[in-house]
Amino acid sequence: MPPKSSASDPLWYKRAIIYELPVKSFFDANGDGVGDFAGLIEKLDYVQALGVTCLWVLPFFPSPLRDDGYDIADYRNVHPSYGTLDDFRRFLHAAHARHLQVVIELVVNHTSDQHPWFERARSAPPGSPERDYYVWSDTDQKYGDARIIFLDAERSNWMWDSKAQAYYWHRFFHHQPDLNYDSPAVLQDLLQVMDFWLEMGVDGFRLDAVPYLAEREGTSCENLPETHAVIKAIRRHIDGRWPNRMLLAEANQWPADVRAYFGDGDECHMAYHFPLMPRIFMALHLEDRHPIVEVMQQTPAIPEVSQWALFLRNHDELTLEMVTDEERDYMYLAYSADPQARLNLGIRRRLAPLMGNSRRRIELLNSLLFSFPGTPIVYYGDEIGMGDNTYLGDRNGVRTPMQWTGDRNAGFSRADPERLFSPIIMDPIYGYQGVNVEAQERDPSSLLQWMKNLIGLRKMFEAFGLGSLEFLEPANRKVLAYVRRHRRDAILCVANLSRSVQPVSLDLSAFSDFTPVEMLGYTDFPTIGKQPYFLTVGPYGFYWFELQRRDP
Amino acid sequence: MASTGSSFSAAIPDADSARTDIVVGLTSHNDAETIVAVTTAVRASLAGRFAGVASRIVLADAGSTDDTAARARAALEGTGGLIEVATPRAAAELLDMPYHGVQGRARALRAILTTARDLGARACVAIDAGAPTMAPQLVESLTGSILHDDFDFVLPFYRRHPYEGALTKGVVYPVFRSLYGVRIRQPAGGEFACSSRLLPRLLDEDFWDQEGVRVGIDLWLTAAAVSDDFKIAEAALGVRAHRVREGDALDLGTTMSQVVGALFADLESRADTWQRVRGSKPVQRFGELAPASAAQGSVVDPERLMESYRLGYRELRDIWTWVLPPKTIVELGRLINAPAARFQIDDELWARIIYDFALGFRMRVLARDHLLRSLVPLYLGWFASYILQVRDLPPDAVDERVGRLGAAFEAEKPYLIARWRWPERLRT
Repeated sequence: MPPKSSASDPLWYKRAIIYELPVKSFFDANGDGVGDFAGLIEKLDYVQALGVTCLWVLPFFPSPLRDDGYDIADYRNVHPSYGTLDDFRRFLHAAHARHLQVVIELVVNHTSDQHPWFERARSAPPGSPERDYYVWSDTDQKYGDARIIFLDAERSNWMWDSKAQAYYWHRFFHHQPDLNYDSPAVLQDLLQVMDFWLEMGVDGFRLDAVPYLAEREGTSCENLPETHAVIKAIRRHIDGRWPNRMLLAEANQWPADVRAYFGDGDECHMAYHFPLMPRIFMALHLEDRHPIVEVMQQTPAIPEVSQWALFLRNHDELTLEMVTDEERDYMYLAYSADPQARLNLGIRRRLAPLMGNSRRRIELLNSLLFSFPGTPIVYYGDEIGMGDNTYLGDRNGVRTPMQWTGDRNAGFSRADPERLFSPIIMDPIYGYQGVNVEAQERDPSSLLQWMKNLIGLRKMFEAFGLGSLEFLEPANRKVLAYVRRHRRDAILCVANLSRSVQPVSLDLSAFSDFTPVEMLGYTDFPTIGKQPYFLTVGPYGFYWFELQRRDP
Repeated sequence: MASTGSSFSAAIPDADSARTDIVVGLTSHNDAETIVAVTTAVRASLAGRFAGVASRIVLADAGSTDDTAARARAALEGTGGLIEVATPRAAAELLDMPYHGVQGRARALRAILTTARDLGARACVAIDAGAPTMAPQLVESLTGSILHDDFDFVLPFYRRHPYEGALTKGVVYPVFRSLYGVRIRQPAGGEFACSSRLLPRLLDEDFWDQEGVRVGIDLWLTAAAVSDDFKIAEAALGVRAHRVREGDALDLGTTMSQVVGALFADLESRADTWQRVRGSKPVQRFGELAPASAAQGSVVDPERLMESYRLGYRELRDIWTWVLPPKTIVELGRLINAPAARFQIDDELWARIIYDFALGFRMRVLARDHLLRSLVPLYLGWFASYILQVRDLPPDAVDERVGRLGAAFEAEKPYLIARWRWPERLRT
């Protein structure tokens, strides 16, 4: 009998609130300057008290760490800096004991060039099964229509390997050769890797870089039918052996293309809604709901069992791939006047600095994150309004140590400060002396307490995770208003995207005779009649109303 | 066969199990003294009023060290026998504090309900075999409305002296009424009956293995029944006689911690249900209420209760400031010097105090057991205030007074919901 994951509800991921964290940045228990699983276990009470229900743990596998662990050298072990497999098991057990699900990262598109499979492939004769684990070519001209993703670091998707006397294919860094899914042995090995972790009890995988699994001449080598066939095979395998486990697709694509990763409910359970995130930022800066409404209207319906994963910020840059050139220009001007903040096609900043440290704006964006159709993902540190350091290179500036206290190393580690894997944020605005968990736990009006309340409220209403979405179209475009419905529940959300108070008239005739009850204060508002419903909303304010039908 | 927790097996005779209308389950633990009387009464009841009805008696004994089971077997000899489901105590339970009720009661009830479900019973009654006497009409009263009127869950309603069961009257009943919109006076009655429709639903609840289930099970079963569209009724059953078991005599602090803790734990697990309920409805009551004179009560001196309150205020005021807002603390302070004639805790204030403790419990602002124990002097103050108000009232007026308290809890429910949804942190 295989051990059960912690989830007994087949739709747990639709009700979840996910907390994303890199183990190395969370808490260092052994004092070597790098966070570890033993440290993460110590901080699980904090995570549980925050109210999130699922942890998404960034890659923790043995790796040369040239891409922060996304270059995996061994799929079945833990990087020694983070602990041992037993530490991971203890962590998994401790998380499950707190009713927290655990989703781990699985980079299925490529490995590190130090993975034994690659070492074996480059020495194996061309055409041999060992060689075929990766994609080789005698020229660097094949698949010329495929774009280069890491524009700032790579010039080509091909890299010459002198040992193999051939080029190998890589969609990301040149030290990350792509696996060749035309070879059946690759999929079989990957499935065994998945079984290894699922048997241990992990509740799901985030499938990194999933659109790039297959390559075909004359295509962009993205979203190919052959790629979907691989995902379907993975899903079939998992459903057959491991009930209630979840697959989350990382497909940074337009919604219509991402839609395909849900299949007919037979590919991934979840996928990120990448285009929504920059448009939320854009709408806020434009003080106009149009970008949000437009992208949501372009979002196709998904199967009943599927779910969007929503986020404001994550461990990568705020990607601007899924916007037009003009929109990208606007975003650069609006959110990264400092060129240092730009990376690839995006902005490497955390939520609080992007919001100019405005508490109201941070709250407003979180209110959207938590009320839009999908499962919200909170990036570690954003719940206390942590800052970033754009001088750290690549995306390391948003992966700095968690700020626990105002003590040395922000309470993250007992190591000498110079030994830390990354400097602590210590600028005068976001520095750890002022922005830390301990201080915010003591401050009843802190962002942390506010986030706990919001998360608690969200969990109380299934409509947020499971319900439908209908936009209202008030004349005032600075106001975004929408209704979420699920079974007998209807929730009206109203958000003012502007910095000044706004009036708004809403057509709520479909809810005539309903009483809107403001959710946070449980306050009855005037009953809805036949006329447009008039509200005023304060600067960056938002209301969530339960629409209740009262018995006469 | 021995079992622990959720699984057990019972020796169910095949021949007679083709049809079963009623399952009467007896929960016992060292009840040799009373088991024969209870079993005989049940048998007489089934043989009389239910002569044409297929029935089974199930004994769920929680590891008695006396000859409870043997006596039950003997009492039922020649009647088709007894289904025995053993539910020994788990090792951890032996180390626990004593508590009200039969050891291993939750497991015993689970075993009885499972047996009833497996037998396809139309109604299942659970009875505490420790009761010194059993009302002759008990089985009939509890199951009649299920078999004939399509009710799903029937609780007993016992006539009690105005001063008896004050924790139920002052806290459990009004909270339960306000939360679930059902005016059940004794939500954790000890006995109950449920329909075949409700059985699988109760067994499906996830509280069976939850911490605190031993104390909370009766209340939690009722909460599960009222949380959905099931028909609830009360059966008037006269006056309940109690037998004090060894280890049952608890101090008020422990009782408070266990009973109110179970109630608050239920709030936590059913927030999405009770926050959608508005108003309340009476429940149908079957049977004749016993005369008020039948219910005996002990003499309670309100002056002593007030003194306990005053002492508590001096000693625990600081603790209370973790959960009670300044306005409440000030109002409580006013009572310190109040003479008996003016010693009154308003219903609204009492409701908010209980709600604030529920919020503190949920937020874990203090160790939960400590928090609940600190409620004791406040409760004694409320009890004094209650006695001073009802001591000269006729029984019906007392009943009406308790009903008004329930209505006040209902009126203050938005206070609870608002703070539940957006907690205020008074101290950090």
